[in-house]
Amino acid sequence: MYEIKMPRFGLNMECGFIEKWFKKEGEKIKEGEPLFEVSSEKITNEVVSPASGVLLKIIGQEKEEIKVGTVIAIIGEEGEKIKEIKEKEEPGKIDEIPEREEIPSMKVAPLEREGRIKASPLAKKMAREKNLDLSQMTGTGPAGRIEKKDVLIYLSSVSENKADFKIEKLSGLRRTIAERLSKSFHTAVTLTNTTEVDFTEFKKLMKENKVSITSGLVFFLSKVLRELNQFNAHFNHDKKEVIIYNNIHIGIAVDTEKGLMVPVIRNTDKLNLETINDQIKKIADEARKGVISENDIKGSTFTLTNLGMMRTEIFTPVINPPEVAILGIGRIIKKPVIVDEDKISIRELAYLSLSYDHQIIDGADAAKFLEKLARLIENPALLGGERKKFIDL
Amino acid sequence: MREITFAEALGEAISEEMGKNPTIFTYGEDVAKQGGIFGAYKSFSGKFSGRIFDTPISEEVIYGSALGAALVGMRPIAEFHFADFLFTGIQSITLQIEKIRYMTGGQGKLHLLLRGPDGISNSAAAQHSESIETIFMHTPGIKVIIPSTPYDIKGLIKTALREDDPVICFEHKMLYKTKGFVPEKEYLIPFGVADIKKEGNDVTVVTMSRMVHESLKAAEELEHEGISVEVIDLRTLVPWDKNQVIESVKKTGRLVVAHETWKRAGWGAEIASVVQEEAFDYLDAPVIRVGAKNVPMPFASTLQDFVTPNYKDVINAVKKVLR
Repeated sequence: MYEIKMPRFGLNMECGFIEKWFKKEGEKIKEGEPLFEVSSEKITNEVVSPASGVLLKIIGQEKEEIKVGTVIAIIGEEGEKIKEIKEKEEPGKIDEIPEREEIPSMKVAPLEREGRIKASPLAKKMAREKNLDLSQMTGTGPAGRIEKKDVLIYLSSVSENKADFKIEKLSGLRRTIAERLSKSFHTAVTLTNTTEVDFTEFKKLMKENKVSITSGLVFFLSKVLRELNQFNAHFNHDKKEVIIYNNIHIGIAVDTEKGLMVPVIRNTDKLNLETINDQIKKIADEARKGVISENDIKGSTFTLTNLGMMRTEIFTPVINPPEVAILGIGRIIKKPVIVDEDKISIRELAYLSLSYDHQIIDGADAAKFLEKLARLIENPALLGGERKKFIDL
Repeated sequence: MREITFAEALGEAISEEMGKNPTIFTYGEDVAKQGGIFGAYKSFSGKFSGRIFDTPISEEVIYGSALGAALVGMRPIAEFHFADFLFTGIQSITLQIEKIRYMTGGQGKLHLLLRGPDGISNSAAAQHSESIETIFMHTPGIKVIIPSTPYDIKGLIKTALREDDPVICFEHKMLYKTKGFVPEKEYLIPFGVADIKKEGNDVTVVTMSRMVHESLKAAEELEHEGISVEVIDLRTLVPWDKNQVIESVKKTGRLVVAHETWKRAGWGAEIASVVQEEAFDYLDAPVIRVGAKNVPMPFASTLQDFVTPNYKDVINAVKKVLR
């Protein structure tokens, strides 16, 4: 007798919604055949049968939401009597849900292992000879031991048409990026507004102060966020509530060897330009070296992404969830511009691209945001007083 | 090709060799008048006058006299009744027969064959059911042959009767009546050459004697489940065909050793150890042994069945090494 339990896809999944059973009670099923379809907050998965036999009983019905680890069906031999199962028995504790071996659909994904890797002598020999990493394989032998067949499965997955392509398993960081961005893509209704901004004065000012364009943007952005605080917010999709923050913590997208990272500068509206510049330098450096602490990549309330150093002018940044907006800036280039009285002048221009979650923010608000920011960038003096003074704020 | 029984093939081998070699003579309990308790000597009546005779029930005398005869150049075949009682004359075997060749630096040959029945039969109880071949694998100085088919026993006995070393042959009681193809043309089977009774790819089962047939039955059933079992009959335990076993393990990656004798310290443990010492890198799963439970054989047939391994145990073991 084999108990089928609600599988867990992803660490945060607590319940699954049974979309459909592919087999009826009493029908025969083979190991590997589709058994049911389950959806969670994130995705819908088809789950295959981990055993061959007869589907003796369906406990979890279609269109029913069931806790992870709860027995939802029984597979056994024909005519086998089912030992007493309390209908829809709650799992003892969510934390004690079955190990991954019992979650059939998770067999495909090699998980991070801890401690000693169990492998048969033959599997070890094969791995040694072919220079394979045992930690990348999924053991299906007793107690998860990696056997010859597991090595062969792994080999076929990595060496299929080796000449044409290579398969890379996602690193931990890449996986996080993928999860976050796909969550953003699936939950936010993202729109992007763009506007071309004159950076001539801004650039001069940054040069005078010996700080980077990014630092200047963080500084100006913080002023706008202070005023339009609905952009400095998190959206909780499940609870249908927006959390508007008093403190402004700006995440800076940094390109590292391993992939995109977003270190956070805190309370940016209370920092002067020089401090912001120093902090960005330090934290971006740490991110690139991979020595950044966990705390420094958490808790941003708004994100800035600068592609100005590369040949990109306009782009559509993806919101960093659970935030509600993200600002992108492209490269600054000199262009002929018609200035007052129809004169042509050479100015330094760049596009600002503001992506925002239309569920929370209307297009007009976004336009207002861009207008405010653009005006500040074009006329730094608007912040009031002498330049020197506002910078030492 | 004609079919004859295991007992007939045994008798034929002895008869053919006695015809060729006048130094061969055979004796033991109930061999001459009765023709052997399992009928191996039935065809001898009236033949080989004086070269086949009965002895009193005295194992010490039977083995001791065989030793003496061999020492003066004869080639005795002494029968033991049953393997269980080898222990009552054990000192002639382990102290003398196994040692003489060695202690004379190989100058003295010892043309001597000990043979007789072992293993279970219909409720023969604790003193008449044992398989003790492991003892003679453990104590060096004697070759050990354990045929499982009429073909094998004929070829192996003929080889034994041309050997310079002493040989002991265990014949399972339940095999004497089994039939098999045996060519009329003369042939010999060399020692130390295993026979692959069935080829397979998934699991190697190394076995001997009655368990060869149980293993073949298991392999046949497992075939229906898509499991391909290679059954290797060692045929001779000393020397045993290590190379053949290791070659097979290199192919399958999995090994089961099945014998009727007790699992605890039975010869299967030796095979398993050698394979892990010399072919560790080819094992994809732990080696599993099939053997009798570690108790004297009960009289009740149901309990005998419980204690003695059969094809079901082989099936379970194969499935275990595959899981």
